[in-house]
Amino acid sequence: MSTRAKLELLVRSESGDDFRITKVESSLAYRQVRPQRITEGQYEVAALRSSVRRSTTYVVKNRLNEKYIELSEAEKFLWDQMNGRTSVEELGVAYVLRFGAFDFDIIHSLIDKLQRAELLTMRPVSRLREVLARNRRNPAARAAEATLKALERLTVGSRSAHEAFARVYRYGAFLIFSPVGLGLLALVTVLGFRGTREIWNDSANLYHGFGEHPIIGLVLVKLFFFLTLITHQMLHALALVHYGRRVKEFGFTMLHGFLPTFYADVTDVFMGSRRARIVAGISGPLVHLFLGSLYIYLASQCGPGLLKSFLVASAIIQSQSLFFSLYPFCFLEMDGYHVLVDWLGLPRLKSESLSFVRHRLWQRLRAGVGLSREEVVFVSYVGLSIFSIAAFVGLNVWFLVHTT
Amino acid sequence: MAKATDFKFLQEVLLFKDLAEDEKAAVWARLEERRLRRGDVLFREGDGGKELFFIRSGAVIVSKHVKGRVEQVLARLGPGDFFGEMSLFDDQPRSATIQAEDETVMYGLDRASLDYLIEQNPRAATAFFTQVVLVLIKRLRDSSELVAEVTRWGLEATGVDVERPASGGH
Repeated sequence: MSTRAKLELLVRSESGDDFRITKVESSLAYRQVRPQRITEGQYEVAALRSSVRRSTTYVVKNRLNEKYIELSEAEKFLWDQMNGRTSVEELGVAYVLRFGAFDFDIIHSLIDKLQRAELLTMRPVSRLREVLARNRRNPAARAAEATLKALERLTVGSRSAHEAFARVYRYGAFLIFSPVGLGLLALVTVLGFRGTREIWNDSANLYHGFGEHPIIGLVLVKLFFFLTLITHQMLHALALVHYGRRVKEFGFTMLHGFLPTFYADVTDVFMGSRRARIVAGISGPLVHLFLGSLYIYLASQCGPGLLKSFLVASAIIQSQSLFFSLYPFCFLEMDGYHVLVDWLGLPRLKSESLSFVRHRLWQRLRAGVGLSREEVVFVSYVGLSIFSIAAFVGLNVWFLVHTT
Repeated sequence: MAKATDFKFLQEVLLFKDLAEDEKAAVWARLEERRLRRGDVLFREGDGGKELFFIRSGAVIVSKHVKGRVEQVLARLGPGDFFGEMSLFDDQPRSATIQAEDETVMYGLDRASLDYLIEQNPRAATAFFTQVVLVLIKRLRDSSELVAEVTRWGLEATGVDVERPASGGH
């Protein structure tokens, strides 16, 4: 068998003064391909239940060219993931989580089968980009697309960040994952609670420290918070090092072209233990607990003024981030969602839940058929998420009405 | 100007293989020495320039821009190799970027010196150009290999199976 083809590339540094040579193997590029099904409506799927084998196979028909292919349950699972956002590598991870075994060949042969039936397509990943691409005749859409493209180029990432994190871990960050780190977090949290009690009594005057420019003050608080976001991702990365896994990439990007964010590629944690996955998942959000508690404690020690208001506002934002990172029921795939998914062993909880509630729940209820345990989880997830979002919107409306 | 003590080096350069000693000495007198540190760029793709370079020691990377800060490595050249001949002959901008992979010493031969060689010693110039053509043929072969390798890379990276008829399916 011939070796995999390699491209030898020269990558210049930001300043252009130096360069590094990197060899990209075709298999690496293949693992990063994000296969996408053709548009819903261009295909249909029929389930064939075998009472003898007690399993279901699926027939997928391409309505455009009248081609049919048959999928096993495992292949159907992978087909459902092919949304243009999941890479082949991530498909492999999802497969391991679902079936408990690694079988890369099934992904390769499935993609091959789907390509032959022309059931895969290449479309822009983002819906917004898709809409803009469809309306390129419109100068505004063209300008917006060009702006998004330019912003997306602001991505700065390093695939060799692992060594840097390993060094940081060796030189002291290992303490974070030791009883010392845990003890410090507990201590600061207790101090934070105590500080909150003291601050609470003076809540009416908290923002007076911003003087006549409360909006500018809050914008500065937001900017400061943005800078602390990097520590959230760093903790995820350090947790990986702690469990002997590899940080595949770390950097900064404009999410969807307009949302500035730091990121750490922690997919290697899926090869670790469940404990490793959970610790890696919650270690980022715990940064917000630590910082929020620290800020509120420091605020309680300050006299009235700009610093106190700044610290209180920062602590509130950190607390909100802690909550949103860990709260899994809001249709956002944040850290808490991933921990929940791992705990339940349902890697596609959100999409399967939405699909079940949209398409099958009412039929079941009309037919008076009971729900399986898994389906109860689906309904609970959707129900809790809708309730949470409604409660969040309601709370904000109430807050606005009562403070203006 | 090139150092007299390095004259022996000219024997190793393929381009001057068929030149007589006195002809080599005439060329040697017109060469300009250039030194690069690791990472230094000699010239970039799109730059102007009418010099041909011979590498005395060290190594350079020949690369072509792909996107952003990424360039494809086309070749690595070492002692005895030459580059830059395309712009010397066709007056077009440089087709690739040259940067030193190590500390590199090289000698440059400009158009005026080449014209001088042609005028003064047509026999030596013919021998020189014969070698240029042979090296260019080899580079053409290497480029074909590279195109095939990049195509293979593309097929492997996308997983497209072109051997199977497109009308597959169930």
